[in-house]
This record gives sequence, structure tokens and C-alpha cells, in this order.
Amino acid sequence: MSGNDRSGKIVELISSSAFEEAFQEKVRNRRWAVALVTFGISLVGLWLMFDVMGAGGWTTLKGVEVLLFGLLFTSLSFGFSQAFLGFLVLAEGNEPLKITNTLDEETPLASTAVVMPVYNEDAETVFGSIRSLYDSLQERGELDSFDFYILSDSTDPSKAVEEELGWADICRQTNGFGRIHYRRRKLPVNRKSGNIADFCRRWGHRHRYMIVLDADSIMTGKAVSSLVRLMEVNPRAGIIQTLPRLIRARTVFGRIQQFASRLYSSIFAAGLNFWQQEGGNYWGHNAIIRISPFLCSCGLPGLPGKEPLGGRVLSHDFVEAALMRNAGWGVWFAYDLEGSYEGLPPNLTEYVKRDRRWCQGNLQHMWFLLAQNIRPISRIHLVQGILAYVSAPLLVSFVLMGALQAGLDHLNSRVGIFPSASAGVLFLMTVTLLFGPKVLSLIHLFSRPKEVAAFGGPVRVMGGAILETLFSVLTAPVLVWFHTRFVLRNLAGKTVVWHTQTRESGDGPSWNEVIREYWPLPILGIVLSALAWWISPDYLLWLSPLLVGLILAIPVAHFSCHTNFFGKLFVTPEELNPPKELSGDFRLQLREGDQFVHAVLDPLYNAVHVALQRKRETSSAPSSDYGVSLAMKLFQEGPDALTAQEKRALLTDGHTLAYLHTLIWRTPAEMMHPAWSKALAMYRSAKRRREQEPGLIEAKLAGVESAVT
Amino acid sequence: MAVSPEYIALLRVGIRSSPEWKEAWDRINDYLDALKTPDSRDRELILLASFERAIARKRGEPFTPATELAFEETQKTLDSSLGHLIDAEVPGMRRSVEERVRLYLTENVDGNLLGREDELSDEVLQALREVKLQAAPNLQVASIKQRPLEFTLAGKGFIGLAKKLSPMGASRIIAWLIGLAILGFLIFSSLYK
Repeated sequence: MSGNDRSGKIVELISSSAFEEAFQEKVRNRRWAVALVTFGISLVGLWLMFDVMGAGGWTTLKGVEVLLFGLLFTSLSFGFSQAFLGFLVLAEGNEPLKITNTLDEETPLASTAVVMPVYNEDAETVFGSIRSLYDSLQERGELDSFDFYILSDSTDPSKAVEEELGWADICRQTNGFGRIHYRRRKLPVNRKSGNIADFCRRWGHRHRYMIVLDADSIMTGKAVSSLVRLMEVNPRAGIIQTLPRLIRARTVFGRIQQFASRLYSSIFAAGLNFWQQEGGNYWGHNAIIRISPFLCSCGLPGLPGKEPLGGRVLSHDFVEAALMRNAGWGVWFAYDLEGSYEGLPPNLTEYVKRDRRWCQGNLQHMWFLLAQNIRPISRIHLVQGILAYVSAPLLVSFVLMGALQAGLDHLNSRVGIFPSASAGVLFLMTVTLLFGPKVLSLIHLFSRPKEVAAFGGPVRVMGGAILETLFSVLTAPVLVWFHTRFVLRNLAGKTVVWHTQTRESGDGPSWNEVIREYWPLPILGIVLSALAWWISPDYLLWLSPLLVGLILAIPVAHFSCHTNFFGKLFVTPEELNPPKELSGDFRLQLREGDQFVHAVLDPLYNAVHVALQRKRETSSAPSSDYGVSLAMKLFQEGPDALTAQEKRALLTDGHTLAYLHTLIWRTPAEMMHPAWSKALAMYRSAKRRREQEPGLIEAKLAGVESAVT
Repeated sequence: MAVSPEYIALLRVGIRSSPEWKEAWDRINDYLDALKTPDSRDRELILLASFERAIARKRGEPFTPATELAFEETQKTLDSSLGHLIDAEVPGMRRSVEERVRLYLTENVDGNLLGREDELSDEVLQALREVKLQAAPNLQVASIKQRPLEFTLAGKGFIGLAKKLSPMGASRIIAWLIGLAILGFLIFSSLYK
């Protein structure tokens, strides 16, 4: 049977009404199971909380506290239920309802665009990812079905030139002209979602699918071709999301996150797929999208009001998944498809900075909860996203209400607010919900000796797990503090500024920067500790996990940036035995320094840049007056004379840039800004630098003379 | 490219005699370095041929800087060497750009195609003639359908309520007062239970 025939049979089977009915029945049962476990646990917790709170008589504060507890505890139970059911699925070992069951390696591929939106990113990281995927597909003989698009929104002129030259270099290295494409928008309208939409408008009809990658994503050739095959055999699938493994972390924070994610995410992912099935979510990258329904159904609506909560949709992914589901297309989670990776913020500060954007994006999703035609399952995803941030101020309110009540009780000389039995059981339950998934993950791992070995052995796994738990306890209050600030700022109408992430480890923030960002936390921690001690030493003990995290926030945040700790701990299978795609060390052959200056001076870079500008701007059309005035300003006042905006404008005027290049090279040093003559010397070869003395020139000329006569 | 000993002698005299020509010599060498032109006999020939003509021109154009003359003549030398790879209709400055693109594309550890054209096959030369640097494919335009967000009745009610309340939230003082009033109520009602 040929690949086409076999795939046709699978498609036929999946599309049959009997299959669909049986499938829907099973999915319904699964969702009931999750609801049952979640609400079962929550009700027990609430009952215990009623018992604890009611013991000393009811007050308004206690009523509010119970309400907040109900919300937070249900959210916690939902996470635990997912992990628990995921654990059972993995323990059973045979999940019949997962999309990867339909994968057939013989299925023919279809035209697919691999798209990577970038914004002032490191060009070597971007093109390194593209290169590894390109090579991987080439090795598999599947390159013909794929085109690669680097979709730039970069506003930094030096970065923009670097990307352009990076594109030319990678094409030259791989002979990828016509297969690897680069496009930079002049204006980053609607940011990442606008960037993707712009791609769809320009080349949407060129491909059947697009695989969206982030600038720090890496996928193997096998993974992307598997995604295309899964799409081909599942004609109702609109999006298939993979589970990206975190990679390439070097800092303490990054390696701990990477280790934790690798160790614990499997059971959560299996649990997520267990109940969501074709009603899954899209995380914005490392996923494949069927372009045609995306064009028809996923145009993002404008939101009422202005930013931060209104205006343009910031976090487009959840919304696109919801719109795709509305249109009747499936959104699947290929949680067990190997070969999908992504980077992560290198330290706590960068992580928090990313959360600042995500918080605003998720809060905007509340509009979709009020909208018509959003499926219940999509609403659950949206609520989960919102709660990921709103739970922080809820938790803060819960703790403050508790502290207030305890303080009032202390003033009124009322004691004994915690009946030992119920409070103890509730405490144990909470601890189980918080740390149970970690324990389940470890049980799952230790039942597979080969996987334990892939993590570096049982000692490393256990050591890593214990330290990771301690670290997460210390950092949790810091995240709660920042999330609370972000939510409140957004609700107060403050817009989040779009900052670039530092994806590489780098040096991390200095002590000064950390103190400037984190100083309120230890003060808050000390004040709360004093208050708690005043209420009762027992109460201080009760709050201590939260308070220690606050007091130690500054050293923990600084420590999280270090790269030379725990070298032998927190290892992941991808570190010990990296796949080929992760072990390549890609280097662009670019000159060092400001790439904008090189675009003016370097004859080769200048030519590549000018040739890439639109034909009408570089052939016979005269340059704009504005372009010429910028060029003259640059010529007379040196490379630093222009603002970033002016540099961007000049870069688009190829004709003027070519003229400026010639002008600088042919002008004697005394007639132009000294910075240019200094910059020109950068291009002198090392050999000629040694031959600067006039005597040597003489000798050289004599040599040439004898050679040609 | 034939260069007679007389011209080399002339060049030697010129460079020795004048700082202006020395600067021109350094500048053009820097330019050839930037073009990744290997330190070979061909490079020397480019230099000599260009300076030969530049020095000759200087006699007729004494006020034109030597660097400018040398650069222009170097461009002409490069053009005569690479010009056959560029379509005749490509205009002036664009020709130089296209030539440099071809040097970029053929660049490797040994240099680029300057002076090595004999080593290139006819197919490669033909490909170089036809090459057109294009970063993105031709458009195949599509449109994305954008539908406005339609709210449920409850949603509309909520939005209406939010609009009515938003002036209170817009004022920091009122927002703080409301917050403190709620907190005060909570404490007060819990204090006297």
C-alpha cells in the first residue's frame, strides 16, 4: 500500500461518523472525570476551611477569606487533577486518544512554511535554529516541502542589518537562496500577531501549513515532518501544538527551570491532553497551523477601549486557538512528539519581565469570556490563563485578610483560630496539591530506569528535585509580588512597554539593578514578620515559607544569574545526550561591531543591503531629499549623528546608501568626519597593518616591479 | 592586464613624493582588503592599473583629490574585470553594487572571483550573470477575515456597568477612597462580632 493510500484510509476512518460519535462520548467522560476529581478535592478543602474558620465564630473578613480560598483551592485542585490523571495515563502506557497515534511515516508531505517572527534578536541564535532545522530536513531528504521565513520586526538598525547579512550568509552557506526568505516590516504593527498576519497576507496562498517558531525555538526535521504528516491524516485539525523542551540554559535559574520542566511537564502534558483532546490550546510557537482556516477564522478582533486592557490583542495564541475551535477546527496537543525545543529567560528578572507582557495579554482575554460563540473549553483555557496572574493578587488578599483577622483576634484577646485536626488535614491537603505532582513525576520517572539514567542517575535526580523544590519555594513569593503589581498596574490603566528579552545568559543584572527592582520585597518581608510575631510566634511559623522568600528576594534574584553553580546537578537528557540538532555550533561569518556602519562602509555588506532594497529605490529613481539630507548629516557628523529612526529611514534608501558608500571611500580623511577615516581602517587586513612603514611599501613596490617586468 | 615598467616607476615616484598619494594608496588598499581581495599578483595589477590612470588624470585635474581619482579608477578597473557579469542595461552606480554582490556570493577562504574567473565553469559564470538577490519570494496575496467581537447579553451588561463605574476608577483619589472604605468596612464588621 502506498503512503497516499494508507493515509487515505486513516483519513477515512477518522472522518467516519461512527468514529466521531465514539470519540466524543469518550471525551465527554474524560472531562467529567476531571471535573469530578477537581470539584471533589475542592469541596473537601472548602468543608475543612469552613470548619477551621467557623471555630472562632464568623466575621465578614472570614467570609471573604473563605471565598478567596475557594477560588484558589479549586485552581490548585484543577492542576493537581490534571497531573494525577496524566500520571495514570502514562502509568497505563497506552493512551488511545492522542493525535500522534495517527502518525504514519509514509504519508506524503505538503508545502509548509517554517515561519520565525523576530524582534531585535541575536542573529546567530535565529539563523542557528534555522540552519539546524534546514540541515536536519536535508539529511532526511524532505527539504523540498519546506520554505523558511524569517519575519523581522526589528527596530534596531544594527540588528536589522545583522539579520539581513545573516540571511545572506546562511543562504550562501547552504545554497538556500529561494528557500530561506527574509522580510522586515518597516513598522511593527500589532507586534508578533501582526507579523504573522502580514506573512499570511503576502504568502498565505503559497503553502498549506505554517510551522511557527520563536526566535529561540529549535525543532528537528523529524518533528516538523511528523507535524505535517499529522495534519495530512487529520483533515479537521487546524492547529497541532507540540510540547517544547527547555534547552541551553546556563544560569542557575535557567538550569533549575529547565530541569523542573523536563522532569515534571510530562504528566501535566498527558493530563492536559487527557481532557482537552481536540479542544486544545495554542502557545504561539512550536506548532503547526493549517493556513486556509487560519485566514478565514483567525483574524484578531479589536478589543473595546484602549491599552492595556483594550485595543489590540497582545497574546494572540489563546485567542487564535479559540477562534479556530469556533470555526469547527480541532486544536490538538502532540505532547509526546519528540524534537521540539525552546530557550528560556536566563534569570529571574528576565523571567519576570516576560511575565509582565504575558500578564497584560492574558488579562485582555477577559473580553473573550464575555463574547458570543466562544466554546466552553476555550473559555476554560482563557480562564486558566487569566488565573495564572490574577491568582497572585487573590493570594495576597487571602494572606492579608488572614493577617488582619488574626490581628483583630489578637487585639480582642481571641485565640485558637485553628482547630488542630481540620487545620492539619487542610495543611496536608494543600501540601499534597502543591507538591504531589512533583512526587508523582518522580514515581513515574523512577519506574523507568533508562530515563533515570538519562537524567544522570537517581542521586542527581533526587538532589536536583530537592533543591528545585527549595528554590521554587523561595521564588514563589517573588513571583506573587510581581504578578500582583502587574495585575494592579494593568487594572489601573498602565501599559506594559514592549522590551526585548535577554535570551542568552549574559552577565545578568548587577547588584544595583537587582536592588533597584527588588528592594520593597525584603522590607515587606521584615514588616510582615514583625506583625506576625506580634500576633503570635505560631503565626510567624505558619507564614514563614512566604516571608523567607520575601526577605531573601535580593540575594536569590542575584544568585539566579550565576553560571558557575550546580554544574553536575539539574542535568537533563538533552544536556547529557543532545540530539544532533542541538549540538551544532552555528556561527555567522559577520564582521564585529556596529552592523549599520558596516552597511555603509563594507563594500560587500553595502552591496547586499542595497541589492535587497526595492528595485524602484535603487535603479534609476532619484533618492528622496530626506534620504540625501540624512546621508549628508551622517557624512559630516559621523556614524553616531543619526537617531535609530533616521538610520532606519536611510537604510530603506538603497540609492543614497550606495552613494554614501562611494562618497566616504573616495573622500580624503581631512575632508570628512574623523570617525569615518578611523572606521575605514577597520577593513585593513592584519597583514597590511604590519606593513605600514614607508620602507615596506617601497620594498613591496620593488617586488611587484620585478614580478611584472 | 599589461603594465609597463615606466608606469610602475612613475607610480613609485608619485607615492614617494606626496602624502596625498600615499593616503590614496592606503585607501585603495583598504578598499581591496574590504573586498576580500587576496594579496596576489592580480591585486597588484588592479592597483597599478588604477593608479597609472589616476596619476595621469591628476595632471589634467590638479584640484581633484588623489584619493577620489584613485577610487574612481579602481572602480573602473573592477568594472572592466567584472562588468561582463552584469547586464548592459544596469545603470552606473547599480553596476558597482551588482559587481560587489557577485564578489560576496563567490567569497570563500581563498578570496573571491576577482582574478579567478578562468577557474570558474561556464555554468557558474552563467549563474552569476543571472543572479538576482531577492530575500523574499513573489507575493501570493491572501486576506485575513477579521470579525468584530460580539458580546453576550450578560457581557454587554457587564461592559455597560464597567463604563458607568470607570470614571470612579479613573480618579486615583476616588479609587483609593473606595478601596479604603471597603477595607474599613471589612475590619469594622469583623471587629465587633
